Amino acid sequence: MLLEIENLVARYGRITALNGISLTVGEGEIVTLIGANGAGKTTTLRAISGLVRPASGSIRFDGREIDRLAPSEIVRAGIGHAPEGRHVFPRMTVRENLELGAYTRRVRSEIADETARVLDIFPRLKERYAQKAGTMSGGEQQMLAIGRAMMSRPRLLLLDEPSLGLSPKLVQTIFVVIREINARGTTILLIEQNARQALAVASRGYVLEVGSIAHSGAASSLAASEAVRAAYLGGAA
Amino acid sequence: MDVFFQQLINGLSLGGIYALIALGYTMVYGIIELINFAHGDVYTLGTFFSLAILTLLGVDSVVHGPALIGVLAVTILGAMILCGLTGVIIERLAYRRLRNAPKLAPLITAIGMSFILENLMLYWRGPSPVPFPQVIPNPQFALGAVTIQAKQIIVVLLAVVLMVVLQTFVYNTRLGKAMRATAQDKDAAQLMGIDINTTIALTFLIGSALAGAAGFVSGMYYGSTWFFNGFGAGLKAFTAAVLGGIGNLAGAMLGGFLIGLIEAMTTQFISDQWSNVVVFSVLVLVLIFRPSGLLGESLPNKV
Repeated sequence: MLLEIENLVARYGRITALNGISLTVGEGEIVTLIGANGAGKTTTLRAISGLVRPASGSIRFDGREIDRLAPSEIVRAGIGHAPEGRHVFPRMTVRENLELGAYTRRVRSEIADETARVLDIFPRLKERYAQKAGTMSGGEQQMLAIGRAMMSRPRLLLLDEPSLGLSPKLVQTIFVVIREINARGTTILLIEQNARQALAVASRGYVLEVGSIAHSGAASSLAASEAVRAAYLGGAA
Repeated sequence: MDVFFQQLINGLSLGGIYALIALGYTMVYGIIELINFAHGDVYTLGTFFSLAILTLLGVDSVVHGPALIGVLAVTILGAMILCGLTGVIIERLAYRRLRNAPKLAPLITAIGMSFILENLMLYWRGPSPVPFPQVIPNPQFALGAVTIQAKQIIVVLLAVVLMVVLQTFVYNTRLGKAMRATAQDKDAAQLMGIDINTTIALTFLIGSALAGAAGFVSGMYYGSTWFFNGFGAGLKAFTAAVLGGIGNLAGAMLGGFLIGLIEAMTTQFISDQWSNVVVFSVLVLVLIFRPSGLLGESLPNKV
């Protein structure tokens, strides 16, 4: 397994955000984590990236314990993260944002190749190349956040709510892109409010309920499960 | 009119010192949103460090020829390095642990840090003004009725050169980009693989080193200093940073020169005693009509 999380507990002060969750992501997979607001989805990704220190439990990436590493070392280990709310650098141009995405890399030609690849996936970013990221639309910023996370050429890409706040048409585009990135060899762990779409694109899924994993399994069986349908897919549609 | 041009020269020299100090305030504020009240005292330390280095070099009077360049280089670089390290130590000891604390905690700590530095300097060099040797020959150039002293040219030149170097560093190097990224969004910077502790320490190093350079320049320009010198100068430099738009490098430079000019002009055309009133009134007016400062960007930090 590329990523193995075991009994992960995370707290904010006295509040327990994650109450011993375990999950795995295999090389080449798209795995999705779905659940209501406050269930602990974002905390899970932040713990993987080292932005939240786990209280206990372990996170292994490619067989190596990463739960005590600094965020910068985790990026170097091969994990990219497009955070919730996009978090692009607002007063920097698209170009500078992408350059920062490649901060851990030194070989100029590789960085140029990666930039070309990102601009190929998101032609819109090419048009906006010299524009300050803070002046772009939400959808453009989302593309930039994903593209920027790809610049470190991660083996595992963490995507936190990539479709949040986007128009239905852009949501479709983002999901097409997620498939495309995966098809080019990047493993993806995806958090989504849009459970239906997420389960359609993923091979496996986990359902998080108030800090614990409530259901897990193949994406198709989760999508068919009565409990999941009732809670997350808007009833037995 | 001659008086005006004379004060223009004087104001620019004064402004060069304020601008160098203001850069440190604005850099630190830009990256951790802290008003580092100890910064003015680091500037005074810069003068005392320069003095100590000159004493070590055995220099107590005017130096000529190539030796002068050597003495200046060693003293300025020495003061910059020592002040830079002081800044790094202050951040490590006093501010780092409070990074996620409520904003008031590091602010009070900064004021405490300022007292500590002032009292250390009081202990080290006593309560009276300490003379600073005239190391540079100070020929004066007459432009009509206006006199320009060599040391005024040095002040402005050094300030401008250091600012250009800083600007180039921040906008064109990898570490400079890391600093700007950390200033704009710390979480995102970490997700790019940037070590923000190192980046913040680097910011303190550079900002404090610039205060060290300003400290040397001030000693040379005024011919003396005392332990409490940084309080007033720091306050005006901070005003300069806010006037220009806090967090903005070019703004700090502009603000510094403006404050220097306003002070020189008020002293000449109104009265010495009114200079602080005018300086701070300008600040109030700017904040009322342009709260983000002259060059401050109004682009939201978080979208």
